Amino acid sequence: MRKYLLRRAVFALGTLIGVSLIIFVVLRILPGDPLVAILGVEGYARLAPADRAHLMHDLGLSDPLPVQYVRWLRDIAAGQLGKSFFRGDTVAELILRRGPISAEIAFLALFVSWLVGLPVGILSALRPNGWADAIARSISVLFIAVPGFWLGLLIVLGLLFWFGYKAPIVIVQLWENPWQNLQIVLGPAVVLGLAQGAYIARMSRSCLLEVIREDYVRTARAKGAVERAVVLHHALPNALLPVVTISGVLLGFVLGGSVAVEQAFGVPGLGRALVTAVVERDIIVVQNLVLLYALIFVAVNVLVDLSYGWLDPRIRY
Amino acid sequence: MTDHIAARTRVSRRAFLRTVGVAGGTVALASTLGRGRALADEVKADPGVKRGGTLRYGILNAPAHFDLHQSGTVANIGPQSPMYDTLIRRDPRDGQTIIPDLAYKWDISPDSKKYTFYLRKGVKFHDGAELTSADVKATYDRIARPPKGVVIPRTPLFASVGEIVAPAPDRVEFRLTEPRPQAFMLGSFASGWNVIVRKKTLDDNQGNLRQVMAYPGTGPFKHVSRKDKEVWIQERNPEYWNKGLPYLDRLEIYHLPPFSPELGSAFLAGKIDYARLLDPVSWRKAKEMPGVTAASFNQSVIQAFWTNGKRKPFADPRVRRAIHLAMDRPALIDVVKDTAPMQIGGFVYPFHEASTPRAELEKRLGYQKDVKPAVQEAQRLMKEAGHGQGLKGLDFVVRDINTFKLWAVAIQAMLKENLNIESNLRVVQTSQWFDEASAGNFDLAISAIVSTLMDPSDYFNAWYGKDGPQNYGSWTNEQFHALTKQIDHELDESKRKALIRQAEGILEQDPPLIPIAYEQIYDAWYNRVRGQNPSKFFGIYDVVRWDVVSLAQT
Repeated sequence: MRKYLLRRAVFALGTLIGVSLIIFVVLRILPGDPLVAILGVEGYARLAPADRAHLMHDLGLSDPLPVQYVRWLRDIAAGQLGKSFFRGDTVAELILRRGPISAEIAFLALFVSWLVGLPVGILSALRPNGWADAIARSISVLFIAVPGFWLGLLIVLGLLFWFGYKAPIVIVQLWENPWQNLQIVLGPAVVLGLAQGAYIARMSRSCLLEVIREDYVRTARAKGAVERAVVLHHALPNALLPVVTISGVLLGFVLGGSVAVEQAFGVPGLGRALVTAVVERDIIVVQNLVLLYALIFVAVNVLVDLSYGWLDPRIRY
Repeated sequence: MTDHIAARTRVSRRAFLRTVGVAGGTVALASTLGRGRALADEVKADPGVKRGGTLRYGILNAPAHFDLHQSGTVANIGPQSPMYDTLIRRDPRDGQTIIPDLAYKWDISPDSKKYTFYLRKGVKFHDGAELTSADVKATYDRIARPPKGVVIPRTPLFASVGEIVAPAPDRVEFRLTEPRPQAFMLGSFASGWNVIVRKKTLDDNQGNLRQVMAYPGTGPFKHVSRKDKEVWIQERNPEYWNKGLPYLDRLEIYHLPPFSPELGSAFLAGKIDYARLLDPVSWRKAKEMPGVTAASFNQSVIQAFWTNGKRKPFADPRVRRAIHLAMDRPALIDVVKDTAPMQIGGFVYPFHEASTPRAELEKRLGYQKDVKPAVQEAQRLMKEAGHGQGLKGLDFVVRDINTFKLWAVAIQAMLKENLNIESNLRVVQTSQWFDEASAGNFDLAISAIVSTLMDPSDYFNAWYGKDGPQNYGSWTNEQFHALTKQIDHELDESKRKALIRQAEGILEQDPPLIPIAYEQIYDAWYNRVRGQNPSKFFGIYDVVRWDVVSLAQT
């Protein structure tokens, strides 16, 4: 087990270094000058070449690329994520303020995806090719196909024009006011959760269909066990393994999807901060947030792998 | 005959009154510009106005930095200006008249080369320090001659300021190297950007306030807290020099980007009391709501596209004029009507007193509703320039902003249909657009540019000047440049107006850019908000302090 963990840790570190290199290089290659956002278009238009060089030096962007890259890694190792080019806010502050909102959205979305996806998948598997299965499959495909940000905009506009309602416009943390906090995170979580729920439903249906034909399920039925017990105690735990795997992957999609959905709902989470940072060419914020997303994605995948051993006693590391 | 002469020379009662009226008006104007305003013109607190309450204001509140002088965006002036004052200001009641602010009066020397401002006594910065002429001098020294690494878009407005002297703690003098029109100079001093900051603040930060969030001002509101891209909270300054103001106890300035659904929905749902820069759809909806007032007003921005004067076909004024005439401007305004509000205009702000009146402009080729005559003339010019067959493969650089993308497609179609000019659209991020435009890597390039003042002496130099920072087409016209110099120095307003019209004529024949439209601003507020109606304002950068705004219900 220890060996396995060590191996995974080394792979994870390699992945993160790879991501850091890609994001670092891409951000330096992409056209666009942060000075336009910092000085405004009028200020930028009046910028003399000497002043430009001076400002780029102040931002730490005039050093050779390897120097900039090593300095970034050194800062991360020291637990300092650097400062935004704009306003001087630290990236750590940004993550601490907005991270909880995005994390809530992600976990709530995952919860919604299981809450909706699993019963639908079971229902479809138990009555394959029936009308309930057809409806469930159609709705699953619909939610997979519909972009989250578009659905989000429809919800925002629907609530506004029919009920004159809009969620709070500033961050309210869970511990400050749970009701207001729920109003902020519920919309994006439901939109993201429904899309992921469709995947869960399809995956659990196909896995359950496969497991339900196994000998041990037939044996359980032959013993006279009631159908509910057969499904819930015998078939489902074995069918869940791939669903857990896909949930880990889906968490990555939730993180990615939250960027657009937070924007649509106007939720001031990390996803929205990332969009703004990209528009502003705030390189330090972008590279740290992307690395954070990558770190979460890698960590979740490791946890999912480790959970196999707990879910299936046959698996040992 | 004698009777006829007598009738002409006799002064009738009506003529007498008219003469006295005109003379009185002239004297009033002269006192406004030359001799300083009377204290009666100041903004004073009205004891009958209801006090207290929190105004929830929605505006872009994510500045890239905090240095107001270095900024050119509403993201700074929107949330920060309630904390600061200027030397003189635009009257918040009409948005136009220049009235006293930290200077209670001013004198202008007869040769217009010396401006003396008399400062109020007992004005305190938010950190308790008293305002002196040294602070004003330090502020304007920095604006007129920025230190290394500091870029201030308003610097050219003070190009004629040779020396700033503080002969007494309550007096500051600006000595000009050459006279400038008084309206231009006073307009520059009254710009909302030129807030007075402490000398010590500037000294402590090596003249750069980009990373200093709440440096002390003398304004009606004080900083309380700020959450980045969420809300900036400010409270009433109890020590404010203008006793009884502000009326409000607190300002909550929410970060809601211009023309965004967030801003529109926050206003329509009643989450904010006042919304600035609403999108047209939300604004129209707000206009229909009971208990809401929606206003539109002029913005200091021209939307345009440039032809690259360094590339051969566009060096020929006939080609540029042909492109100018081939534009169906009413259609272009219609294309973006749900994205951003626009109005037709030429090379001079269409609402400026010196520009061609709208009715006259709309009869001119290039601005008519029926574009046929203009297109025929455009085709003739192209033929005459040797491009009757059109042009192919033009590189059309488009800023990645909705209005520009919509317009670029329409312009591309108009050029193809009317002049057989084929272009390839290249959509680029904003900062790349400026790189490409500055390097001359384009045939056509579409964007928008802003000015501080409505006065042509500001933007004729910046937009059309030989080395103007926004002269992206590298345009030159010696006759125009000579005329601009004359306009800059002409002190007689009527002569100046005639020169501006003359310059406008040159620009029509030899366009430095192709004007598309002039931006408008859509604001809306619930009627409980009193004391603010921007309908007559010019732009969103001068009257931005909220000191005379109150809430009917608190």
